[in-house]
Amino acid sequence: MDILVIHLFNALLYTSVLFLIAGGLSLIYGVMRIVNLAHGNLFAIGAFVTASAVGQWFAGSTSAWLFLLLPAGAVAAALLGAVLEPTLLRPFYRRPEEYQLLVTYGILMILEDLIRFIWGPYPVTATSLFEKMGSMTVGEWIYPRYNLLVIAIGGVAAVGLWAFIYKTRFGVLLRATSQDMRRASALGVNVNYVYVLAFTIGCFMAGLGGAIVVPSQSAVLGMGVDALVLSFIVVVVGGLGSLDGAMVGALIVGVLRETAVSVFPELELAVLYLIAAIVLLVRPAGLFGKAT
Amino acid sequence: MSDRPSRRDFLSKLGVTTAAAVGGSLAGVGLAGVARAEDKPKGTIPDKPFKIGHMTFFTGAGAVLGEPMYKGNLLAADEINATGGLLGKRKIEILKADEAAGTDANTKEMRRLKLSEKIDMFMGITSSGNTPALGPVAEELKLLTIFVDGCTDFLFDKAVPNPRYIFRITNIQSADGATCAVGVALTWPSIKTVAHIHPDYSYGRNCFDHFSIVTKKLLPKASNVSEAWPKLFSTDFTPHITKTLAAKPDLLVTSLWGGDYVAFYKQALQHGLFTKMKVATTLALGAAPQSIGKDHPEGVLSGVHSNYHFSYPAGNRWPLNKTFVEKYHAKFNEYPNFQAEGAYTATYALKTALEKANKLMGGWPDDDAIISQLEGMMIPGPGGYVYIRPDNHQGYKDAITGFSKNVPEYPFPILDPERIITIPIRNITSPPGWPKGDPTSTYTWIDQTWPTVKTT
Amino acid sequence: MNTTTVAALKPAATRSPYLAVVWAVPIAVLLGILPFVFDQYRTIQLAYGLIFAIAGLGFNILLGYTGLLSFGHSAYFGVGAYTAAFMVKYMHTGSMELFLLGTIVASLLVTSLFGYVCVRYTKIFFSILTLALSQVLWSLAFKFFWVTGGTDGLRVPTPKLLGMSLGEGADKIYFLSHAYYYYVLALFIICVGVMWLIVHSPFGKALQAIRDNETRARFVGIRIRRYRFIAFLVSGVFTGIAGALWVPLNGLTTPDILYWPFSGEIVFMSVLGGFRNFTGPIVGAVVYNYLKDFAVGFTVYWQAFMGVVLVVLVLALPTGIVGTAKVLAEMARRRFAR
Repeated sequence: MDILVIHLFNALLYTSVLFLIAGGLSLIYGVMRIVNLAHGNLFAIGAFVTASAVGQWFAGSTSAWLFLLLPAGAVAAALLGAVLEPTLLRPFYRRPEEYQLLVTYGILMILEDLIRFIWGPYPVTATSLFEKMGSMTVGEWIYPRYNLLVIAIGGVAAVGLWAFIYKTRFGVLLRATSQDMRRASALGVNVNYVYVLAFTIGCFMAGLGGAIVVPSQSAVLGMGVDALVLSFIVVVVGGLGSLDGAMVGALIVGVLRETAVSVFPELELAVLYLIAAIVLLVRPAGLFGKAT
Repeated sequence: MSDRPSRRDFLSKLGVTTAAAVGGSLAGVGLAGVARAEDKPKGTIPDKPFKIGHMTFFTGAGAVLGEPMYKGNLLAADEINATGGLLGKRKIEILKADEAAGTDANTKEMRRLKLSEKIDMFMGITSSGNTPALGPVAEELKLLTIFVDGCTDFLFDKAVPNPRYIFRITNIQSADGATCAVGVALTWPSIKTVAHIHPDYSYGRNCFDHFSIVTKKLLPKASNVSEAWPKLFSTDFTPHITKTLAAKPDLLVTSLWGGDYVAFYKQALQHGLFTKMKVATTLALGAAPQSIGKDHPEGVLSGVHSNYHFSYPAGNRWPLNKTFVEKYHAKFNEYPNFQAEGAYTATYALKTALEKANKLMGGWPDDDAIISQLEGMMIPGPGGYVYIRPDNHQGYKDAITGFSKNVPEYPFPILDPERIITIPIRNITSPPGWPKGDPTSTYTWIDQTWPTVKTT
Repeated sequence: MNTTTVAALKPAATRSPYLAVVWAVPIAVLLGILPFVFDQYRTIQLAYGLIFAIAGLGFNILLGYTGLLSFGHSAYFGVGAYTAAFMVKYMHTGSMELFLLGTIVASLLVTSLFGYVCVRYTKIFFSILTLALSQVLWSLAFKFFWVTGGTDGLRVPTPKLLGMSLGEGADKIYFLSHAYYYYVLALFIICVGVMWLIVHSPFGKALQAIRDNETRARFVGIRIRRYRFIAFLVSGVFTGIAGALWVPLNGLTTPDILYWPFSGEIVFMSVLGGFRNFTGPIVGAVVYNYLKDFAVGFTVYWQAFMGVVLVVLVLALPTGIVGTAKVLAEMARRRFAR
């Protein structure tokens, strides 16, 4: 019985991180109709910044205050997003979608090397947070407490985001703009403001995803591209532009991966793409998506 | 079954030693070949630089192996250049190329280095996925090449069965799985159930295959109860650890390395994995000695790619190692891994071949002359003697492994100096003339010629 | 369907076939004598460029002529490469013509499956679908290592050209920069010719009509989904042929060429040359190949370099090299006329 709990924890752990990345991607698409191919790099930047903050700048500190550094990566990613949107993306809103995709692909290549330039080739770790929290026992099992913190942060982020979008004035602007940008603009919504806000929140989520995985794993080059592909699977399954879809998609992928590792170790990776392909065949717009 | 030897008899026949004392093969070895004053080169030697194209991982997760390889090459080149260069005249110039660009890009880059940059020699390569790709290209280009690693058996078994221009200096990959399994049979003969976690690429597959075939012979009662194949360079091993724990094995075998292994052992610690089973690894301490923390458990069978750990041979027993480690540490402020040792030895193998060829013919030797000197060469490196077999151009040195242990001298675990395991390499790799086999020649050789030991 | 009406919708290509030949022949002759001028390395680079140009042509019938941006063309390139490799591994053939034949069959199979799913959607959904499907192939090539060699990939030895083993025993580099270069060049010319005929046929005009105004195209009786599907097939087959030609040049194929960033490179090439022009992807592919080669040799941060080029390109020169050249030529002509 206990093992099921452990498997559930593992699946939720993966789900939390995936939701943060894919949810950000989906939110940006939902509001701005842009698929940001550089989204994975913002996840990576979140990871590297937090790793530097915890593992390098404040290395050796044993204070519990270190946990406050955890969001540093998310803030850094959000700041980067707030700069990128007005400078590089805004000129493309009136141009065909192809150009938007291409410019984000260019940003992906630049950010990938920027990370290498700043942090060098070696992995950066921040394991002190992971170790500080220690482990707990579940029946005869030992489980790291930090993983539960990640799950909790993922859950809080999901609820917070939902509340933000459905319960605040900004959320109303966001939803209005996503439904009809021109009409919202005509009614006096500052679309530029809404766009930069949405993009920043999306980047914040990706950065937060990177920030919370880094203590138990590490920040390595190439993690952004891998994360992007995984979040594509999530949005393909759940439906692009839908937060519910990102949640459900992340959950499906999380559970599926946990099962695959245990039952079909050979198919660990392929099973994710296969489920994406099956969903595509049955419901090409994803489970929660609206076909255009 | 009276013809079946006992495990102990067979292991001693393999020449496996586990002792603090230095293996017999090293004792009383003279260093005449290295220490001898250099003779003046014969004939006229051009003074244009000797260009070595060095391709390895400078970026990405593989850089923990790649950077030390380059540094080993660089250290040797600086030493040689300080004496005037190769044959006293030609300074070594190293051109860096990043192996992380991907196999296809690497093929292109090798061509560019030869045809456009006009390199004299190619060196490097970390990934066992890249040597089978680049080996044939080097042969096509007629480019003198010493691969430092990329140690897959596949290269000389299949991709280039009759090499002319390419050599490889570090131990062949099958030795990893075999050494690990011999170490397990020697240390924990009562093992019954085995779990595996291997990176999902050729190195992981190879370790799995050779560990399995050796355990089939030496631990016939052991069986596999769990397998997990995480993607190479992934950092989340939570589900793989859960799966392994659920199988409740006596032993976990893993060929994870570098950043992957560091992430793995940190996560495994928090899951209490090391307290619930024995752990045997093929490359844990080999990749980057200083990247493993003191929180790493002691007594883990810690592989070093069957090649080299800077702490062995210890002390002044093998002065070449002592001076190498000191010089390397002074220059780069870190300790060399097996890649650094391999690249360092490879550079000196080139130097030795050039000097021998020059002595025979005078002037700057052509590639054919260098190749014929490298074939069959036996040279001392920091880790011991390396023998380059003439038939397959593969470098062989006695395999070593050991157990992780924390000592006050180093801020990271090293191999327990009291319990180093060494195996003569010829006893765990297929000999010359053995037909090329599948998955590897060594696999079929072990399968067909090793007895299954008696169990009590 | 009334072809004249469709053709009248948008005179995208007004150039007559004779004028095209006047342009094409000298360029073909120039490409033919280049191996005598260039060193072997540059010639091989040019062969890569011509092969990517075939892929670019195939890609562009979707983007430039049908208005569908595929971010999954690595799949069809990979199908070509792996088909050739499988034929070596399982059928023990080394005939380049059989490789090409097998590739056409295999890419027709794969593209009709993928196309069936993808052409139901347009715009960003089409891009994401093609990307996701290409990743399915990538993961299969990666995982089923006993078939595909996994990350080791599969080797393809020197092939026989037209039944002749020109490369055996000879210097491989010489073979690649001569016999094989001309083989690639011949196929390149055939592919350019065939694609020129396709896009200037009533079918090609219909695609452009769909691209420019889907509703109006439907109104004049074009069966949109079927036309898109056929364009998808043509696109996949051309890209597959490029993959099959590429693999002997590279010596082996690995899952890298199925991974989606390679699709990004194909898109990059077409945009660099200018996808609104027939010749754009051709110029783009050749230039891209040299540019990347230069960047890799020039800086370790070559990826950022290429990224900056791409961003600047889409910001400042969205019509690409050919489009910009045309505008400049037009300006020069007007000034001259005045």
